[in-house]
Amino acid sequence: MNRHADTVQKQPVTPERVAQVMAHCVATGDFVNFRFIFAPFSPLRNDSTENLDSPKYAYLLPEDTSDPLYLSALEAISKPEILDHVMAQLDRKGPPQYPWQPLLMLADNATRLGKFTMASQAYELLRVRRRIQEQYLELGDEAFRQGNIPRGVLAYRVACGLDYDYAAFPEPLPAVPNYQHTALILHGDFPETLEQSVPLRPEPEFVRTGLVYLAGNAEIAGRLDAFDHETRREILAEWIRSADTDWPAFAARYREALRLAEAYNRRVREIIEKSGPHAVEMALDEETASLPVRAQVLLSGRQADNLEWWQCLKELAASHPAGALFVTRAVVVGNREVLLPCYRGDSPLPAMIGLAENASRETPGHV
Amino acid sequence: MNDTPRETGYVDYVALLGLPPDFKPGDVRRVYRKKMKDLMVEISRAEITEERKNHYLLQIAQLNAAFYILRDRERGEKYLADRKEVMDLEEEWRTHADDPEKSDQLRRRFDQTLRAFLSTYLEELMLEAGRDPECVECSHWDAAHERHASRVLRHYRQRLYQVIHERLPYYDITPPRIDWEERMDVARKTLDFLSEAGQHSVAGGHAS
Repeated sequence: MNRHADTVQKQPVTPERVAQVMAHCVATGDFVNFRFIFAPFSPLRNDSTENLDSPKYAYLLPEDTSDPLYLSALEAISKPEILDHVMAQLDRKGPPQYPWQPLLMLADNATRLGKFTMASQAYELLRVRRRIQEQYLELGDEAFRQGNIPRGVLAYRVACGLDYDYAAFPEPLPAVPNYQHTALILHGDFPETLEQSVPLRPEPEFVRTGLVYLAGNAEIAGRLDAFDHETRREILAEWIRSADTDWPAFAARYREALRLAEAYNRRVREIIEKSGPHAVEMALDEETASLPVRAQVLLSGRQADNLEWWQCLKELAASHPAGALFVTRAVVVGNREVLLPCYRGDSPLPAMIGLAENASRETPGHV
Repeated sequence: MNDTPRETGYVDYVALLGLPPDFKPGDVRRVYRKKMKDLMVEISRAEITEERKNHYLLQIAQLNAAFYILRDRERGEKYLADRKEVMDLEEEWRTHADDPEKSDQLRRRFDQTLRAFLSTYLEELMLEAGRDPECVECSHWDAAHERHASRVLRHYRQRLYQVIHERLPYYDITPPRIDWEERMDVARKTLDFLSEAGQHSVAGGHAS
C-alpha cells in the first residue's frame, strides 16, 4: 500500500516549537499534555519517531496565538534558563526533571479555569498543594469574618477542588466529588421515625451534615465549626446556590413535587381519620396513589416512573448534589419505597434557597 | 510522639506507647492495656462525628499494632531494624543528592524500602493486629472496623509517604523557590477573577 501522501517527514524540533507547545499547555492548565511533552515517545523529542507536524498532534499547538495567557506563558518559557533546561531534558534518557516555574504557572491557570484536578496534580508535584489549599481556606475564613459569604464560599470551594485522595488505589489521586455514592450513604438507613430522616435532623446538625457532604472533606467542613450557626447556615445556602447552575430550575421542580406529596398526604390523613389506617389502600383512588411516584419523577428529573428510590437518588445527586439533602425515603401505598421532598418547617434554610415559598411552613413535606 | 524532623513519618511504636528503650514484653502489655482503656473512656464520652470516627479508628489501630509488633521479641526487633534501615537510606540519599548517578540509584532503593516499610507496618500488620484475640478483647475490634479501617489506613500510609516525600531533595522537578507572600496575592487575584467571571464557571467547586 502506498502511504507516501500521508507521510510527513519529521523536521528537527526547534526550541521555539517546544516553547509554543509548552506555553499552550501552561495557558490552558493542561497538566496531562505538559507531562506528555517529556514522555519517551513525545513528538517533541528528536529521537522519537512521532512527528509534531502530524495532524494527530495539532491539539498540542495553540489555536489562538494572541491569547494573553498564552503570550505571557510563552514569554516566561522562552527565558534561556527555562528553555535550555527543557531542551536538555528532551535530549536526556531516563526520567525527566520538570522546570518548576512553568508548572506553577500551569497550576495557577488551571485553578483560574476551574480545572482543579489538573491544578492539584501540578501543585502536588511541586509539593506545595497543602499549603496552597491552606491559603485559600485562610482567605475563606477572612471573608467569612468580614461578612463576605459568597467570597468565602468560593475560596472554600477552590480549596476543596484542590483536595487529594490519599486513600485512592493504587496511588493517590486528586479527590473528585462522588455525590452519587455519598448521597446513598447519607440515606443508607431507612428513617423509621421523622427525626431519623436527614432533612428533619435538628438544624445545627443538618447544616453540619450538609457542609460535610458538599465539601466532600470532613476536615475542611470542620473548620467552619469556628463560626456561629447563623453564619454556617448562610454558608450552606450560598454553597448550594453557587455550586449548581441549574438550582432555580430544580427548586421549581422541587416545589411542584412538594405540592404533589402534600396532596397525597392530606388525602391519606383524611382516610385514616375517617376509616382507620387499614382502609388507605382500598380507599385511595388511582390518581392520588400515583402522586408520590410523580413527585419522585420530578425530583430525579428523569421521565421514568419505574425507577427505584435509590436510582432516583443517584440521578438527583449527580445533577443537583444539594438536592439529596432535602429528600427522604418513605413507603407509600402499594408498599412501594419512594423518594419524597422533605424539609424542616421551622428552618429558614429552604426559603433561602428557593425550596419553600416562605420560611414559616408549619408542616414538613413528609409522608 | 516527639520525633525529630528526620524521623517524622517513620512511625515509632515504642514512642507511641511511651516505652523506655530497654522495655520488656510485660511493659508493652501493661502500657497498652492502660492506654487502650483511657482511649475507650475518651471515645465513650466524645460526640462521634465522621471526622472523629476516622481519628479514633486510627488511634485504636495504632495502639493495636504497637502492642502486636512489640510484644513479640522477634517481630519487634525486625520492626526496629527495618525502621533504622529506611531512615539510614534516607540519610544516605541526602548525602549523595548532588551526585546524579548515585543519587538516582539510592532514591529508587530508598523509595522501594520506604513503600515496603509503610505497607507492612502501617497497613498489613495493623489489620493483622485487629484479628489478634488479645487486641480484640481490649479494643473490641471487629470485621466492621476492619472494613472501614482499610480505607483509613491506606489514607494514613499515603499521607505519611507524602510527609516524608515532601522533605526529600527534589528530583522530579527543579527545586522551586516560592515566595509565599506573592502566592497569597495570586490566590486573592484568582478569587477576584473567579468572582468576576461568575462563580458558576468554577463548576461546582470540584471540576475538570
